[in-house]
Amino acid sequence: MSKPKLQARMAALSFSEKIKILEKLRDREKAIAASGLRTKQPKKPTQ
Amino acid sequence: MKATLEAINQMQAAGVIGNYAIGGAVGATFYIAPAATVDLDVFVTLPSARGGLLVTLSPIYEFLKARGGEVQDEYIVLGGWPVQFLLPANALEEEAVNQAISTEVDGVPTRVMSAEHLVTIALNTGRAKDHSRIQQFLEQGAVDRGKLQEVVERHSLSAKWRQFEQRFLGGSQ
Repeated sequence: MSKPKLQARMAALSFSEKIKILEKLRDREKAIAASGLRTKQPKKPTQ
Repeated sequence: MKATLEAINQMQAAGVIGNYAIGGAVGATFYIAPAATVDLDVFVTLPSARGGLLVTLSPIYEFLKARGGEVQDEYIVLGGWPVQFLLPANALEEEAVNQAISTEVDGVPTRVMSAEHLVTIALNTGRAKDHSRIQQFLEQGAVDRGKLQEVVERHSLSAKWRQFEQRFLGGSQ
């Protein structure tokens, strides 16, 4: 499915359904933040 | 979110706040495809606010803390959502609260800012993520362009809108 079609499909969901998706996205963000995966890595020296 | 909105509605029924409206990314989700966000922006008016008096959010925090809300920096966590309560900072935000749309989340009544107000507030705020959100509203046909122009003009943001058009829409819209 193309991105615009997927967006249109998502936009057409009810607010309650969209909120459930937001909650899943929020929980995923929290899990990533807690895992430390977004910690900045020191830059490698350029060649 | 259901518990979050129920707590806010209880606070309104108790007279702690006057009107309220959901804004920000959660408000935008009413109109466009959901995009990740970790907090809920709630714009509120205070019933006791009078010109010349110091306006404070303390009654909101006290009410919600007594009902299990947990304060974290500028947020109060309700039903798992960090909620930021904001007082309208200008006439645009005040109008957005007053003209918000009534809806429901899982049977709980709530109010969301209109698409045109969300876009105009994003235009006024002007961060990269705000510009990106405006583009999403336009791409997804989620905003009435005529009504948007009226709101933009009413709040003297026409020049800012033209700049946005030139930068992001090629100035041809």
